[in-house]
Amino acid sequence: MKVWSPFSSGQMRVNRLAPRKASLAGLTIGVLDNSKPNAGVLLHRVAELLAARTGAAGVRGFSKPSAARPAEILDDIAKSAHVVLTGSAD
Amino acid sequence: MPSVVLGTDAFRSLAEATSAKHGLPHMPVALVPHPLGGIAAEVARAKADGILDEVLRGLTSDPQPPAATAAAGPTLVEAPEDLDAFQVWAMEQEWSDGLPVLPPTEARVAKILGRRAADELIATLMPLDGRATLHAIAVNAAMTGAGPEHLPVIVAALRAVARPEFNLNAIQCTTHPCTPLLIVNGPIATRLGIAGGPNALGNGHRANAVIGRAVRLVLENVGGARPGREDRATLGHPGKFTYCLAENEAQNPWEPLHVERGFKRDESTVTVCGSEPPHNVNDHGSSTAETMMAAIAGTAATTGSNNIYLAGDPLVILGPEHAATIAGSGWSKKDFKQRFWDLARVPLKKFSSENVERFKLTHPERFQDAGPETLLPFASNPEDVMVIVAGGPGKHSAIVPTFGATRSVTERIAD
Repeated sequence: MKVWSPFSSGQMRVNRLAPRKASLAGLTIGVLDNSKPNAGVLLHRVAELLAARTGAAGVRGFSKPSAARPAEILDDIAKSAHVVLTGSAD
Repeated sequence: MPSVVLGTDAFRSLAEATSAKHGLPHMPVALVPHPLGGIAAEVARAKADGILDEVLRGLTSDPQPPAATAAAGPTLVEAPEDLDAFQVWAMEQEWSDGLPVLPPTEARVAKILGRRAADELIATLMPLDGRATLHAIAVNAAMTGAGPEHLPVIVAALRAVARPEFNLNAIQCTTHPCTPLLIVNGPIATRLGIAGGPNALGNGHRANAVIGRAVRLVLENVGGARPGREDRATLGHPGKFTYCLAENEAQNPWEPLHVERGFKRDESTVTVCGSEPPHNVNDHGSSTAETMMAAIAGTAATTGSNNIYLAGDPLVILGPEHAATIAGSGWSKKDFKQRFWDLARVPLKKFSSENVERFKLTHPERFQDAGPETLLPFASNPEDVMVIVAGGPGKHSAIVPTFGATRSVTERIAD
């Protein structure tokens, strides 16, 4: 028998990602901590190790108060860092 | 700016779905072994080494974007004629919540739609930005056995969950056990037989069953919250099959919820809350409002509740006999909310020191100056406590905590 599919998906857009950097040397690595337990610990550790390995200028930390809400500080981050690490999950 | 998302491997599907929804299916994601929460900081720190190469690659090498896909309109597919074979097939297609579904044939869906415009877009539903057209809603409703008379309630509920203050994306994807609870007010409840009396949140009522279940199937099939993938609930709860009741307006000593929210008594509304299951309040002994508060507030004031640290607008469902006792002491609904808010509190010393540290980090404005004796209320203020009357004879009420980072929404039912 013929039946209707219950699915109804929207169009899947594909946006352009920001061009990646050739190297991190001299750049500031931003970290956006989503306030999940230990998210900041892992993110900052990855950023520190990356900075040491690549000669990045430094690490700049940001946080959003709740993982359940979008960050409102994206413009600030874009102004003061060149690349950013962020996170999801528990 | 170039970014990389870090997460744990247990949440890969959610990270991928979230990236895709934002039009960035090629977003670099680096995953460490689950978990990050509930482990010592040194253990979490040590997980960094394993993903360093991947993170560096994500920041310094451009990933290939995949091709975009067009929106999928209504699609007819060939399904097995035999009903038992159809069930097996429907489960394989991931169409169902696990219970049997009826085939959404052209004739059955057309009957539910009637003269309505099938392509009308009612809502765009998170997490996958699915298009809840009247047609798609009717197809899912047909699978539950709903009739055309139930469609206006289902449609109003879906409009409500899509409102920004409901925070549907988080409700659909969180590990917390929450799902939209539908509270129906006004004359449509009686007309459709939506139960608000005995066993209102239990089994035995066709309208409650099919309306709540149709909303759930739309959230799953159109919104795209598939259990264990985008829907990351650790345990979930049985209300995720269906979670719908009417307010028992006939036995409510105060104004019903929709009137409190500015609607006329003869208008019909549905209110959605991002709710946990009901937590029972047994009180067979108290005969006054004040003495009954010990059981009601005591059930709400628990250390494991989202509302204690995230606030929001949790719900108290008063059984009609408890409501009569409280109103009989001369209390208005406002008096009840105030007293409940005063009493439903947990001292900070009852939480583990690790949790207190975390609260101070995530909500400094509330917890920075708090000491062990500081009392945490169940909501930010008395007005945020929702109160309805429902159920049949007996000495029980219920506390229904919410996800916290969500607000209930009341929508008029156009019928």
